[in-house]
Amino acid sequence: MRRGVLVRVVAVGFAAAAVAFAVAFFIPWLPTPASKEADRIDFVFWFVTVICIAIFGLVVAVILYSVVRFRARPGDDSDGAPIHGHTGLEIAWTAVPAALVTAISVVSAVALAENDHLPKRHLQVNVTAQQFAWSFSYPKYNGLTVSSLHLPLNEAVELKMRSKDVIHSFWVPQFRQKQDVVPGITTRVVITPKRVGTYPVVCTELCGEGHALMRAEAVVMRPQAFAAWAKAQVQAAAKASQGAAGGGPGLAAFNSNGCSGCHTFKPAGSKATTGPDLDNLKMDAARAGKPLAAFVRESIVDPNAYIEKGYQPNIMPSTFKSLPKQQLDALVQFLTAGQK
Amino acid sequence: MTSAVAAHDELHAGSKPPPRGWRRLTAAGWLRVPWMTALFFGIGLGITLLVRWAEGWHPIWDGQVITTVELAAVPFGFLAGLGGFDYWAGYAIGSPTRPEDHSGHGAYSWRDYFRVNTDHKVIGVQYLVTTIFFFVAAGLLAMIMRAELARPGMQFVGNQVFNELFSVHAALMIFLFIIPAFAGLGNYVIPLMIGAPDMAFPRLNALSFWLLPVAGLMMLSSFFVPGFGCGWTGYAPLCSTHQELGAVFFNMGVQWAGASSIMTALNFLVTIITMRAPGMTFWRMPLLVWANFTTSLLVVIATPFIAGSQFMTMFDHIMHTNFFNYEAHGYVLGYQHIFWFYSHPAVYIMMLPGFGIASEVISTFARKPIFGYRLMALSLMAILVLGFSVWAHHMFVSGMAPWLRVPMMVTSVVIAVPTGIKVFSWLATLWEGKLNFSTPMLFALGFVSMFVIGGLSGIYLAAVPIDIDVSDTYFVVAHIHYVLFGGSLFTIFAGIYYWFPKMTGRMYNEKLGKLHFWLTFIGFNATFFPMHYLGIQGMPRRVSDYVPRFTDLNFFISIASFFLGASTLVFLYNMIVSWARGEPAPANPWRALTIEWQVSSPPPVFNFDEIPQVVGGPYEYGVPGARHAVFNGDRVVEEEEVRT
Repeated sequence: MRRGVLVRVVAVGFAAAAVAFAVAFFIPWLPTPASKEADRIDFVFWFVTVICIAIFGLVVAVILYSVVRFRARPGDDSDGAPIHGHTGLEIAWTAVPAALVTAISVVSAVALAENDHLPKRHLQVNVTAQQFAWSFSYPKYNGLTVSSLHLPLNEAVELKMRSKDVIHSFWVPQFRQKQDVVPGITTRVVITPKRVGTYPVVCTELCGEGHALMRAEAVVMRPQAFAAWAKAQVQAAAKASQGAAGGGPGLAAFNSNGCSGCHTFKPAGSKATTGPDLDNLKMDAARAGKPLAAFVRESIVDPNAYIEKGYQPNIMPSTFKSLPKQQLDALVQFLTAGQK
Repeated sequence: MTSAVAAHDELHAGSKPPPRGWRRLTAAGWLRVPWMTALFFGIGLGITLLVRWAEGWHPIWDGQVITTVELAAVPFGFLAGLGGFDYWAGYAIGSPTRPEDHSGHGAYSWRDYFRVNTDHKVIGVQYLVTTIFFFVAAGLLAMIMRAELARPGMQFVGNQVFNELFSVHAALMIFLFIIPAFAGLGNYVIPLMIGAPDMAFPRLNALSFWLLPVAGLMMLSSFFVPGFGCGWTGYAPLCSTHQELGAVFFNMGVQWAGASSIMTALNFLVTIITMRAPGMTFWRMPLLVWANFTTSLLVVIATPFIAGSQFMTMFDHIMHTNFFNYEAHGYVLGYQHIFWFYSHPAVYIMMLPGFGIASEVISTFARKPIFGYRLMALSLMAILVLGFSVWAHHMFVSGMAPWLRVPMMVTSVVIAVPTGIKVFSWLATLWEGKLNFSTPMLFALGFVSMFVIGGLSGIYLAAVPIDIDVSDTYFVVAHIHYVLFGGSLFTIFAGIYYWFPKMTGRMYNEKLGKLHFWLTFIGFNATFFPMHYLGIQGMPRRVSDYVPRFTDLNFFISIASFFLGASTLVFLYNMIVSWARGEPAPANPWRALTIEWQVSSPPPVFNFDEIPQVVGGPYEYGVPGARHAVFNGDRVVEEEEVRT
C-alpha cells in the first residue's frame, strides 16, 4: 500500500515536471546571448530552473494526488487522520531546501565575480543618460560622441555611466547586463560582446514621461570594421569642428547632443524614429505658421511650443535651452540648410 | 445575547441623549464634518500665510506650499468633525469621561457603519468594504492600462497619464487594499479567536480605520493636480525635484495610511499579548493570531522608515532640503535604502496574514490538525527576523556598494527555507485528510500553488546574476503579481468567503463562489504568466509603449486581463446579494474548532456572554474528545450528562 502510494505520487510528479520541462525548454525564453557575460548568466538561469522544476513537480504532485485521493465523499462528515507532525520530515524539508539555496548562492556568486572582472586590455566608453536620450563617448578616440553604442567584437568594454538628471538604467537584453545610471555618482558595468549584430538599448528605470521611448542601439562590429568606423567618425568630427566640409560645427553639435538618437535627418545620416523626421522641417514650420529658422530655434529651446501631430509633449529634453549660443546657432544653421 | 443588548441600550441611553436642533451641528457626525473641515482648512491656510508673511518669503501665496500644509490639516478637520478625537479631547479639557463608555459600540442599523464606531466587528466590516472599494478602483486603473498596452503606440491616454495610472494602481492596491484588508479581517476575527470582548484600544481602532478613506482619496485625487507619475516606489530624484505637485499627494497619503497601519498593529500586539482568554497560551493560539502578531511587529518596526523616506522626498520637493539632491551632495541611493528597509518587510506584511488565513482554511477543510504547528509558528518568526536583512536585493543594479550584493543574496534565498517549511506543511496537512472543496478551500489551494510559482520566480530574482538581467522588466511585474495576487489576494478571498457567514449571519452562494474562483484562477494565469516571457525578452516595466514585436503577446495579456477584471463582478454580485438575501448562517457552518465559530453568526455585540476557557490546541480535528475551548454552560451540560 505505502509503496503503491509513493509510486503514484512520483508518477504524478514526473508528469508535472515533464510539463514544466516542456514549457521551460521548448519556448525560447532567453534571447540569443551576445556577450560572454550572458553565457554565465544563462548558466545560472538554467541551474536555478532545474531546481525549480523539481520543487514545482513535487508540490503539484502532492496537491493533485491529495485533491483526487483524499476528497471527502458526499455526506462524509468524519475527520482526517490526527497527524500532528513528523520530526524526520520536518528536518528533511528544512535541510534540503537550505542545501539547494546554498548551491544557488555559490553558483551565483562565482558567476557574478567572473562577470565583474575587467581585463587589463579593454575599451572604455563613457555613457551619459538624460531625459530621454543616451549618448556614448570614446576617450580612446578623441572623445568621439555618438548616439548609438558601437562595440568591437571579443574585446572587454567598461561602460562608465553618468546621468544628467534622474536615475536611468542601461540594459541590453542580449548582453544580459544591466546597470542603473545615477545622478551624482559614476556607475560601471563590464560587457564582452561575442556576436556581431545590432541590439536594443533599453532604459529600464522609470525616468519620466518619455521613459518608454528612451531607446538606442548597440552595434557589435568586427574589430577591423570597428576601427574603420571609429576612424571615419573621428575624422568627420574633426572636419566638422573646423567647419571644412559637410555639416560643419552644426553636425558636430547634432551628434554630440544626442539629436541623432531620436531623430531621422539625412544630412547627419541618422535614422531614429522616436521624434519627428527632421527632413520635413519646412512643412512642419509651415504648419506651425512660423518662418523656418525661428521655428527650428524655438523647437530646440522650447520643444513643447509646437508638437507635431502623432507625437507627445514633454518627451524631448528641455535642457537644450542652456546650449552655448555658438552651438545653438550652428545647429539651427545645419538644420535649415539641410532642407530641400 | 439579549442581555448584552439590554446592557448596551442602558449604557447608550445613560450616556448621551440624541442631539436636537442646532446642537446636531456640534455633535460628532457628518453634519459637523463640513464646517470642521473648513475650519481646519482655514487654520492651515492662516498659519501658512502668517509664517510666510512674517518671514518675508515671496510670494506669500504659494499654491504648492499651501496644498502641502492642507494635506496635513484638512484630514484632521474631517476626523475631528466625525468625532474621532472626541473622547480624548473631552478628557484633555477636563469634561467628565467614563473609561467604560460604550456609547459608540456596536451596529444597530446601517447608519452605525458610517460613524466612528468602537466595535471591532463593525470596524472590521468598515475596513473590508472600504478596501474592496479601493480594490475595484485600482483594478479599473489597471484595465485602462491594459487597454492602452493592447497595441503599441499611444491610443487612449498620454505618457504622463499612463505613468500616473500605474503609480496610483500600485499605491492603492498596496496601501489601501492588501495591507488594510488583512487588518480588517484580523480586526473582525482576532478578538473572537482569542476570546476577547474587543480590541485593547477600541477608540484608537476606530481612528485608525477612518484614516484610510482619507489616505485613499488623497492618492486618487493626485490625478486632478499635475500628477503623481513616478511609480509607487517614488524614487528620488524623479519623485522629489523632478515631479509635479501630485507626488506630494502620494507622500502625504502614505503618511495617513502608514499611521493607520502602525496604530492598528499596536492595537493587535497589545490585544494579543494581554487579552487572551484563560488557558490560551501562545502555543494554543490559532496560526492566524500568530501571523497577525508577527505582521504587527513588522509594521511597528518597519513602517516609520517609509514615513521618513516620504517626508524627506517631500521636503526636498517643497522645502528645498537636500536629502537626495545630488546637486547639493545629497545621497540619491539613500532614498532606496530607507525605502526598501520598509518596503521589503512590507512584502511580508502583505503575505504573513495570508499564511495565517491559509492555515485556518486548510486545516478546517481538510479536517486535520495543521502539520507541524510549532514549526509553522516559528517559521513566521524566522521570516520576521530575516525579512529585515534582505532589503538591498531590490537594489542589485542600483549602483550601491558592490560588496553588499552577495550577503543580501544569501539572506534572501535563506528566506526560502522557512517559506518552504510552510508550503510543505500545508501539503502534509492535506495528506490523509477529508478534503471539502468549498470556495475558501479552493482559494487556499489556489494560493498554495500560485504562491509556489511566485516563490520560485523569487529565487531567480534573488540570484544576483539573473536579477541583473531581469530586474525592472515585465519578469518582475509577473513575479510581484504571482506573490501579491496569487498570494495575498487569493488568501483575502479565501478569508472573506470563510468568515462571510460569521460576519453577515448569511451564507454566500457556493456555486457563484466556485465560479468566481475558476474564472479568477484562469484569468490570473493567462494574464500574468506570459509576462515572465515578455520581461526576459526585453520589455521593461512601467512603459506606455513598446516595440512592435511584443504586440501579439501584449494583446493576449490585455484580453486575459479584461476577463480577469470581469471575474470580480461575480464576486461583488455574490457578496452584495448574499449579504442582503442569503440563507441564514448557522453559528458554525464549517464545523471549525476555533473560538469565533463557537458564538452565534453574527456574534453578540460584546462577543461573549461568558468568557471561554481554552483547554487545548486549535486544530485537534480527528482527536477523540479533544476541545479547543469550553464555555461555562458547556461544563454544566457535561456535568448533567455525567449525572444522568
